[in-house]
Amino acid sequence: MELILDRVTKQYKNKIAVDRLSASLKEGVYGLLGANGAGKTTLMRMICGIAEISSGEICLDSEDIGTMGGNYRDLLGYLPQDFGYYPNFTAMEFMLYIASLKGLNRSYAKERSKFLLQKVGLTGEMRHKIKTFSGGMRQRLGIAQALLNDPKILVLDEPTAGLDPKERVRFRDMIAELGKDRIVILSTHIVSDVEEIADWIFLMKQGQFIAQGTLMDLKEHYLEVAGDKEPEKFNLEKLYLFYFSEERV
Amino acid sequence: MMRYEWKKIFERRLNVIAMVLGYLLMGIVVYSYISQEQFYDAATDSYAEGPEAYRMELEMAQGQTDVITEEYVTELIRDIQNFGMDLESDEAYTEVIRPLDDMFYFVAKSYTDMGEPYTDQNALNKVDLKNGARFYEQRIEKIMHFLNMDFSYGNYSEAEKTYWISMAKRTNIPFRWGGKAVMSIVGELTFVELYLWFVVVICVSSVFSSEYESGAAYLLLTTKYGKDRLVRSKIEVSVLFTIGYLTVGALIAIVPTILILGLPGADLPVQLWDSVIPYNITIGQTCLGTFGLILLIGVTIALVLLCCSAGFRSSMTALVIGVAVIIAPMFFPMSKESGLWNHINYLFPGRACNLKEVMSSYVSYAFGNVVISYVEMIVIVYMVVSVAALMLIRRVFVRVK
Repeated sequence: MELILDRVTKQYKNKIAVDRLSASLKEGVYGLLGANGAGKTTLMRMICGIAEISSGEICLDSEDIGTMGGNYRDLLGYLPQDFGYYPNFTAMEFMLYIASLKGLNRSYAKERSKFLLQKVGLTGEMRHKIKTFSGGMRQRLGIAQALLNDPKILVLDEPTAGLDPKERVRFRDMIAELGKDRIVILSTHIVSDVEEIADWIFLMKQGQFIAQGTLMDLKEHYLEVAGDKEPEKFNLEKLYLFYFSEERV
Repeated sequence: MMRYEWKKIFERRLNVIAMVLGYLLMGIVVYSYISQEQFYDAATDSYAEGPEAYRMELEMAQGQTDVITEEYVTELIRDIQNFGMDLESDEAYTEVIRPLDDMFYFVAKSYTDMGEPYTDQNALNKVDLKNGARFYEQRIEKIMHFLNMDFSYGNYSEAEKTYWISMAKRTNIPFRWGGKAVMSIVGELTFVELYLWFVVVICVSSVFSSEYESGAAYLLLTTKYGKDRLVRSKIEVSVLFTIGYLTVGALIAIVPTILILGLPGADLPVQLWDSVIPYNITIGQTCLGTFGLILLIGVTIALVLLCCSAGFRSSMTALVIGVAVIIAPMFFPMSKESGLWNHINYLFPGRACNLKEVMSSYVSYAFGNVVISYVEMIVIVYMVVSVAALMLIRRVFVRVK
């Protein structure tokens, strides 16, 4: 399976949010790093088919995702940033509702929902209304719904936001595991999340990829460009600060 | 999927409050209609109230005549003329009008010119009885006179005149007579149901926009059925809700009335409400027809509102538009110059849902020799708007913002 972004551009009147991005994604975890307004969320929405592409195209195995329609969405799992829950639904009702939208039959949906709620540590809360949940619990529920249809393309916008450190580590492991047989695209501000689990990292700034590669590629590039003589002290945070420092804006 | 859409409607606090208040208001209206009716009882020189008043009105009407024959009307008018009174005076009310009750107003209205806003009570003093009352003949003459009048906003075409005269002449005569007081309140209660449209507006305005407001739209639209079955399900639930809510509202209005008063007069001809009505239907059928119009227009309002709800990100904007669509046209004045404007004005919800007024208005839409009656035009327009809204809703919702 290959997801290809070919000169993908998103323009809002005079502002270019995503500028001619090209990439080829296969099974693995892809991390999108960038400051607020870099275009990460817009790019993810375009990959999910909920933001129109101004020019360029996104294809899955050579087929345009726009023409694939429901067949493409059937392969998709999406955790939007700050998305709304239904406060009066219980966790189980919410899962079953999303499952019905994903076309899962009711008995399988029940089983799958129980399994995923258990996986994200919400078994005890499955009959509780979502309005009683903490931010972290809602985020876990969001991750569980994204996995309902066992998606081949998983798009996670800030998946670890609101999670406590222990939960974050657990979810990092889960995402790394999921990336073995599917395309996982995640965006985050938390550099260490990407450093730990991403097979390929995109650094985004003003709608463009300013750097991309494996952690090792980026390290080599950084050491060369920044003239850093202490490779043993390298971490992604250093690189991030280097690229996003005031002087380089 | 529909189950969850129902849940969303019924778990929104504002919706529940609106639904309860709507029915409560309907209950209060029913109670006041039934309890506040009065009827003068000559035997005791006092007024009967509530259900007893309805019972006495019915008895009185049944005692007057079964059929409005020429002979009956002639004798009635002769008796009235023999009093030699100004029929607008208080004395005439006590001596002449009150003892005849509904019958007086029915006959007086039948001799009042069409287009007059009030019944000319003295019209009966002017009737020439040399050749009898000519009740049914003058009904047709009155209609013809109206159709041939000069109107500043445009006159009837020949095709329209032919259409209406032929309709009026096909009306079954003589009219049967009986007590219609109960059915009159049933008719008014059915019409009052239009206030329940506001509840529909409140509940439907958030169906799509709440998904934007909460941010859930981004998630829903990425699911396999988020761009088709979800939209269909929301539409189905909204339409069923509208029909269900309005139907329960009608039952709240009608069932207590039937239990307390029965439905006497439902089988009487609608001409007893207004003798010029050119349709052969009963009062009961007219009430059902009014309810049908309330439903049709209510469903159309719901569908248009769904379109607004899908297009605007704010439920409040959709709600304001919905309320404005119902209220604002009620204040649109009729034009003295533009017949086109008037014909459009007739089609707005508040005017189009009262079948009795629609049938007695002699409004028609002429396209060359083709004449479409007001009733037909209402059905056509609201069906077309509904279909257009249905086709637009999905496009508007899935349109990427």
